[in-house]
Amino acid sequence: MPDFDRWRHRFGVLTAGATLILIFIGGLVTSMEAGLSVPDWPLSYGMVFPPMVGNVFYEHGHRMAASLVGFFTLVLAFWTWRRESRRGVRRLAWGALAAVITQGLLGGITVLTFLFPPISIMHACLAQTFLCLTVALAYSTSREWLSPATRVLDTAGLRPAAFTAVGAVYVQLVLGAVMRHLDAGLAIPTFPLAFGRLVPPLDDPHVAIHFAHRVGAVAVVVALARLAWTAWASRQARFRRLAALLLGLGAVQVTLGALTVLSGKAVYPTTLHVMTGAAILAGSFLTALRAWRLLERPAAPDRLPVAAPETARS
Amino acid sequence: MRKPFAVLTLGVLPALACGGSTPEPTPAAPAASTAAPAAPAAPAAPAAGASTITGKVSFEGTLPAPEKVKTSADPKCQAMHPQGLDKKVVDGKDGGLANAFVWLKSGVSGSYPAPAAPVVLNQEGCEYHPHIITAQTGQAITIKNDDDTLHNIHPKPTTNKEFNIGQPRKGMEASRSFDKQEVMIPVGCDVHPWMRSYISVVDHPFFAVTKEDGTFEIKNVPPGDYEVEVIHEKLKNQVQKVSVKANTPAKADFAFKG
Repeated sequence: MPDFDRWRHRFGVLTAGATLILIFIGGLVTSMEAGLSVPDWPLSYGMVFPPMVGNVFYEHGHRMAASLVGFFTLVLAFWTWRRESRRGVRRLAWGALAAVITQGLLGGITVLTFLFPPISIMHACLAQTFLCLTVALAYSTSREWLSPATRVLDTAGLRPAAFTAVGAVYVQLVLGAVMRHLDAGLAIPTFPLAFGRLVPPLDDPHVAIHFAHRVGAVAVVVALARLAWTAWASRQARFRRLAALLLGLGAVQVTLGALTVLSGKAVYPTTLHVMTGAAILAGSFLTALRAWRLLERPAAPDRLPVAAPETARS
Repeated sequence: MRKPFAVLTLGVLPALACGGSTPEPTPAAPAASTAAPAAPAAPAAPAAGASTITGKVSFEGTLPAPEKVKTSADPKCQAMHPQGLDKKVVDGKDGGLANAFVWLKSGVSGSYPAPAAPVVLNQEGCEYHPHIITAQTGQAITIKNDDDTLHNIHPKPTTNKEFNIGQPRKGMEASRSFDKQEVMIPVGCDVHPWMRSYISVVDHPFFAVTKEDGTFEIKNVPPGDYEVEVIHEKLKNQVQKVSVKANTPAKADFAFKG
């Protein structure tokens, strides 16, 4: 196992944090309906830096922030290539670089195709995937990953709970992206009931995708509650804290979703809803990675110690 | 294997940030056209016995109060409108409804070549002038930027081809045309969301836009039976049948309620 590289790890964390902020800025572009305020790509009005007036501020600001994250990823990829002895981590870094380049191209194509929904949806989903890649890069270079404490038996079932949560949140984010880019965010304009009913008529595809997103929210809350429950049962402090935070974020996210509908898609509740969703995905993914690294499947309990209360800082 | 990939990525990332394409319009070249509209022709001579349809589109009730629009997102627009813009979507005077598009929806036969002269859509004072643009199919539409700020022009047709062009500097011009009949195509500037106009493109020349007092006039209409439609961006369309006799003016009045 390689030595802990503090600065590379910190740079990975910085890249992941910058990506989360970039997702907020990208969400702001859609919320402000600013995506086509710069009609050309890759230049903006034929310039590298156009006047930042009106909605150009959001769209070109997003391009600039995306370029910065792209630059961070490039640096991280080469840093990893030069310093990292593990082939898997090097591949992960190249994968992140390929993802951010693809994401930039999708961003350009969506502008040039007048926000063609399938392209915009792919752009939104790849943003979430790329965030997970940066989380993986940051965590794989952490002290915890490089010198983990003795692996303990996952008697509480944290590993499956964490992976289930990641799957549920990712599917929910895809549904959210489809709903947003098909302009179905207000297809059901009431909350918590849908047109006064628990289940609305689903003949209209916009209503159907909106309702699927609401059902997905229930599934995500159940998955996060299960994760919190198993984390509590695991008696692992580091998992308890993270799972409790995720459950809290889930509650915030449901509130933001309701506010998005009730405010008629006001810019800030809607955009914070996008970013909180990304934060929940990143947190669930980190929990899954930690569970994978620190816990052992209960397949061979005779060879592993039973989980003991853990008090050390994560 | 790693080296070519590294070179490739080093090359692509700056391109994502800086790029290399040229902008749609030609900066500071007022006469530059960006598209070749269909070949225009001289106006067709009026048909024998052609008449005029006149009328008034009335608005019964109180006109809605203008909406105050803040222009502070762009300092140059704000300088032109320090108190903001008064946006009047439903407007008129003397009981008339302004800016309604009136056209012969059906009953017209024959072909009518597009006029040679272009129609002009101007961006001035961070607003579109005129608010309703009318053109024949294939007729050139000259889009001008008379503002000292950037605009993008983005019509959203449903049957014609969508476009989105940027005009970052004052004095820029571009030319576009639509090759299929389509009425009330919304046109917007995504930079300044309050800017909105509509383009109506018709296969024949029998259309008009109501004046401030709601009156309109459609000239040189051949004798025949027609459906006349009035379309307003906020109000429900109205249609009525009109019979035009040879050399006899016809009348078509419409009334909208607020």
